Order: sequence, then C-alpha cells, then structure tokens
Amino acid sequence: MSQQPPQQSRQEASQPAPAQMSSGYATLEQRLKYISEYNFPFCDESAKYEKVAKIGQGTFGEVFKARSKSDNKFVAMKRVLMENEKEGFPITALREIRILQLLKHENVVNLIEICRTKANKNNKYKSIFYLVFDFCEHDLAGLLSNVNVKFSLGEIKKVMKQLLNGLFFIHSNKILHRDMKAANVLITKTGILKLADFGLARAISISKNGQPNRYTNRVVTLWYRPPELLLGDRNYGAPVDMWGAGCIMAEMWTRSPIMQGSTEQQQLTLCAQLCGSFTPDVWPGLEKLELYHKMELPQNHKRKVKERLRPYVKDPSAVDLLDQLLILNPDKRINADDALSHDFFWTDPMPSDLTKMLSQLTQSNFEFLAPPRRSNQMMHRYQQQTTSQVPPRPQDNSYQDRVY
Amino acid sequence: MPWWYFEKEELKNTPSRKDNVEFDTERRYRREATNFIKECGNLMGLGYSTIHTAIVYLHRFYMFHSFRTFPRYVTACSCLFLAGKVEETPKKCRDIIKKASTILTSQKMMSFGEDPKEEVVTMERILLKTIKFDLQIDHPYRFLIEYAKCLKSNGNTPKEQVVQKAWNFINDSLETTLCLQWEPEIIAVSMMYLACKISKYDVVDWKGRVPDHQKWWDMFVKDMTKNILEDICHQVLDLYQNPKGKSEAPDSPPQLPPSKASLIKASPPPQKRAKLQQSPVMNPKVAVNHIPVKVSSNEYDMAKVPHPPYGYPSTSYQQPPPPAYLVQSAVPPPLPAHSNIHHKPPLPPASNYPTNNNIPPLPPSRYPAANIASNQFYQLPPTNNYSHKNNRSNHYHQPYQ
Repeated sequence: MSQQPPQQSRQEASQPAPAQMSSGYATLEQRLKYISEYNFPFCDESAKYEKVAKIGQGTFGEVFKARSKSDNKFVAMKRVLMENEKEGFPITALREIRILQLLKHENVVNLIEICRTKANKNNKYKSIFYLVFDFCEHDLAGLLSNVNVKFSLGEIKKVMKQLLNGLFFIHSNKILHRDMKAANVLITKTGILKLADFGLARAISISKNGQPNRYTNRVVTLWYRPPELLLGDRNYGAPVDMWGAGCIMAEMWTRSPIMQGSTEQQQLTLCAQLCGSFTPDVWPGLEKLELYHKMELPQNHKRKVKERLRPYVKDPSAVDLLDQLLILNPDKRINADDALSHDFFWTDPMPSDLTKMLSQLTQSNFEFLAPPRRSNQMMHRYQQQTTSQVPPRPQDNSYQDRVY
Repeated sequence: MPWWYFEKEELKNTPSRKDNVEFDTERRYRREATNFIKECGNLMGLGYSTIHTAIVYLHRFYMFHSFRTFPRYVTACSCLFLAGKVEETPKKCRDIIKKASTILTSQKMMSFGEDPKEEVVTMERILLKTIKFDLQIDHPYRFLIEYAKCLKSNGNTPKEQVVQKAWNFINDSLETTLCLQWEPEIIAVSMMYLACKISKYDVVDWKGRVPDHQKWWDMFVKDMTKNILEDICHQVLDLYQNPKGKSEAPDSPPQLPPSKASLIKASPPPQKRAKLQQSPVMNPKVAVNHIPVKVSSNEYDMAKVPHPPYGYPSTSYQQPPPPAYLVQSAVPPPLPAHSNIHHKPPLPPASNYPTNNNIPPLPPSRYPAANIASNQFYQLPPTNNYSHKNNRSNHYHQPYQ
C-alpha cells in the first residue's frame, strides 16, 4: 500500500498545467493532452512492473507474474478486461476491488494497488487497469497435481486450518467467496495459504422487508458447487463456501477433485451417490427449491461419505470433519468457526509448518502450468455413466515459467 | 491510504483556483453539480447512499482537477454512474444521460460532446484513477441514527423531529465541502447538535454515559470542541443565506449559454421560495435562540451579506418551529424503529439555490430503510485494522483558526 503522501505533495507541482484559454472549458484536444500527461497521485503506471510470465488465464482475463522495477519484488498482475464492457468499469471488478480492500488478512490474498497504463493516442486514451497482488508461488491445484509434492497429515492440517481461518474471516465480514476451488487457493513458498480470486465474491445482504435474497446461482465451478446451488437456491449463504472447503479437503488426499460432473444434473447425481439421496428428512425445505422438481434426484442412495473416503483418509477425525463439511443440507453443514474447533486440528499430529516441504520444490506450481490431473480410480468408478472430463487447459506454453 | 481530508487552506487553493476559477464560482459549481446529482439520482429512484457516495466522489475529484478541464455535469454523471455500481444499485449509463438531458438545458448538455455515453464512460476511468479506487464511502446517516438512539431529553420535542432535521442538514451539507474536511461521524454529531439547538431539544442524559462525559458526543468522538462544532454548523447554515455574491458571481464559462441561475434571477420567485415565506420560520415572535458562539464570517464572504427574509440566518439564530410536514403528521413512531425516520426528508428548509427550484417533492419510497443496513456489511471484526482513521494518532483536526 503506498504511503500517504504528505499533504502538500498531493497536488504535485509537476502536474501539467491545465492549459486552456483564459476563459471557457478546455477543448477536447487540451483535455486529452491533460489526461495523458497528468500524473495521477494515487494510481501508478503499470510500467513500474516488468512482466515476467503469464501464470493464469480465465474468463476474467489474464494473470501475469511481474517484477517491481523499484525493489525487484514479485507481484501478480490481473488485468481488468474492459474491452467488451458496455457499462464502463465492470461491476464485478468493482466488487472484487471493494471486497479486497476490506479483507486484509494473512490468509486472504493481498491487493497491493491498482495500476493503469498511460492513456495515450494508441489506446484511444483508455487506460488498461491491473490489480496488483503479492505474488504467491503455488496454487493448491498445481501442488496437488505434482506427484513429487507429498503432504503429511500435519501439513494437510496446516493447509486446512489456514483455509478455514481465511473463510472464517471473510464470512465474519459478511462476504461470500462463491468460487472455492483448489486453483483459487494460493500458497506462498513460506507455506502461507491465501484465498484468491474474489471475482465472484459478494456481500451478504440482509434480506429486505422479509423478502428472500435473489442472488445468482450461476456461481462456483461445477465440481465444487454445493447441492443448494445445483437445486437453484437463490437465498444461500456462507455454507456454499464450506461445501467447497470440504471438496478441497478431500482432494488433499485423493489428489483430484472428488466429484467431477460434466453437467449440473450429473453433479447432483454425484452428490447423491456420495452424500445420500436428497430427501426432506435430511433436508427440510428442500422441496421449495426452484429446481427440486426439474432435476432428477436419485433415490435410495445411502450416505457413503465416510466409507468412500476412508480408503484415502486414514485419520478418523479427518473423516469426521469431512463428513460434517459434505452435508447436503446447508443449514446442517458445519461452519468455519466450528470446523476450526474440530478435533482434527487439536489432536496429534498437530498442524505443522509447510516451509520444509515447500523448500524442496524448485519451481512454481500453478494449475495453469501443470499437466492435466488424472481423475483417480476410486472416483472413476462412480463416473462411468458419463465420461469424466478434465476441463481443457490453455495450450499456451509461450510463458512457461518454472523457477521462482 | 490517501488522506481524503483537507485543511481549509487547501480547500481555497484547489486546481480550479489555480486555473483562474474564483472561489465563489468553484463553490457554485460544486453546489450545482451536487444538486444535479441529487435531482438526477432522485428521479432515477436511487437511494440516499448512492447519491451521497456520488457526491463525495465529485468533491474529491475536484480536489485534483479543475472545473475547467472537466465539465461538472459530465463528471457528475460519471460519479452517479460509478456510485450506482458500487452501492449495488446500478443504472445504465444511457439512462443516466437520458435523465440528465431532461434536467439540464440543451446548452449544458453540449459539454457532453457528440457521444455522451463515451464521454461519461471515459470520465469514469479518470474518476477511478483520481480517487484511488477508494470506493467505500461511509455516510453520516447511520452514525446519526446510532447516536440519536442514545440521547434522552426531558423536553417536549419528539426526538424524531430532531433526527429528521439533522438528517436534512446532512443532506444539505453535501453542497458544502464538509465531506472533504471531516469524517462522517463528526458531521453526524454536528448536524445532530445543530438540530437539537434549533429544535430546543436539550439532551439531559444519554445511554452509556460515564462520569468523564461532559457532552453527549464525548461518547462517540474525542476532543470535539465547541469551536469545531460551530464552525461546521456555520458552514451548513451559510447555505441558507441568500448570497448577494451569487447573483454577481461570474456565470459558467462564456462559451456556455446563460445558466439556469441567471435565468431564475429575473424570473418570479420559484415555488419553493414561496413556500418558505409562508412558513413561520421568520415569525418575529419566535424566541431567538442564540448559539453561543462568536460568529466568524471570515471564511465565506457570503456570511457578510445581509440575509434575506428566509432561511436560517447565520448571525442570529432564530428557532424555526417544526416544519409543516412534521406538525401535520401523526404522532411519530418511537426510535429506534429505523424505518420510520427514513422516509423522504423534506426539501432543504431554505435552500435558495436556483437550479433546485423545479424539483417536485418526491415520494417517501426514495429512502428505503434497508439501505442503511446495507452499510453494515462492511463492518469489520475487531482484529482488522482497515481504516485510515486509525492511522492517525491525532484523529480529529484542531479547530480551524
């Protein structure tokens, strides 16, 4: 965060004089010249960073690793896509910025500043904006797809504890992340976990006049999408992130996403196969959800969370916590606070530092740069009805960056 | 964190001043742009928080750029456009411009150029770069409600009336640069103080009082001196004067046609003024309620001008009786039933500002109670240090000399 400039320097003498006729407004030309020369005191030029490599690509735009020219520190720069925006600066980006400015926590990615390119003739006087973050060396999806990375039980506890800590913090700030997945969980080389990508995040509204909220339910990557969203709930809350946390936790052992549906319907089926059938007994109010009658809900499935995860997860308290995270009914799903008090984090082996394990890695591990993960055997059995697809990854290898 | 609060010296030495815009002219521009945002926002059904946020963006923006570089109504539209998105009440750029063109004269619309939408969208980027993406604006309203809940009086004036008045003063304060001088908490205390004075509402006790507390606001802000309080109140009260300077003020830059202001000068008294003259505000039988402070009128030339027969003169404070809208209404519901004091604040008591004159009274639904709750989403847990306010040991300025 840039220091507060001293009072007097805010209107720098170096600013271009607002050159215009002694009367009247500036002409268009004068204004454009002014815009391109004005040195915005609170919005630095992106040229202060030097792009090193592309490390991510999504609907949101591109993410680059870059180096600060002044102190050689690495940062991640996320470009704000504005080209196709009819309504100016995207409201989603504004939300993300506002939320990130609010959420300052060890386990939430740190937004350093927002940079811009210089406005000039070439870009039609339209700056490009970048969100600049502290650089994190790895993401969890990348680490899990690297067979050389082995997490001990204590290390898994450390990861999950930090993840839940971050979730507890954002939820107590009344923010929903809405895009929990392993690729959005960053880990620094010193083993600090950071929740990232708040591009879908939003504030929890207090419902107005008793009216339920009408959030969009088209959020969360399918494989991590909780059952209430799959059933069209529009008045959801923090439990949507807790489901994702459960999926990620299981993935720490299975090494690949546990429910890889290719359609909403199939994802629901996978949920039922793992967590038991959707019935009003386990989930009162279920029948009121918008898509309850439209989706096909497999009947007569027993809940098999524990028995299916046990082959991977030997630790009984881990299985128990997973069992409480992967609960269909959002009202019964464990919250971040209670999860942090779970025996899992308070029994031996206690959470242990990740630094040592990570220090053996000589390169960054990002999902974007990693080879596609194979879906594992156990889960494969349950996905035979349809071919499970690993989402295609961009084949852009021109920026392969392997060493930090 | 940039510091969005300025010393009075800085407020006098703005980019516009350096660009040969007179102090009074800049103040007029700020008021015109502010009132335009209020009107346009109201017509579009935007709530007070969106309108307030937009106006604060505007005031901040013109601490870095001149009014002659960026025409005020274009900037105002961008501020409203951005604030709409930030406050989750987005309006289409096209609709804002459409509404603006019904409010502004066609000559004023000329400053939007050939492609008004492009102009506003481009302006939004400049606005964002200038205000450092500091999008979250705290408003005095919720502090006012919070503070008012604690106050106890043994007088007869219903508290709701006082809060309503304070609320209106906050609305009107947006026309001044107070939001560039003081934190919203301070403005809330000051406007409540002013409303209490004017309503003869003596605060005799307050919830949460400890022996250290001399005044009720000691509970909410530290080191709040009478001088500060009254300086703030005067800045708002000065709005209600008819500034002689205004009619003489240089008009909009010559390339523009005569503004509404000069047109109205010659026309018969507008609706609102007529209403106010009927109101017994200036009834000489009303007891004079002096605010015990030396009136310092150095800051604004306006203050030296003899005041017109309406409004709250800043040199002799006469207590206005409760406005008609309050007298006629049924018994006000008790605090802290929020929703009931959030109905549409009446028009500014004596705003004599010309561009404002044609605004019809707006329906009460303009200020839904739920909006105030929406600000609470961003309250922080105690562990978080996010607040520029905490970074400064001397939180509150010394009184201006």
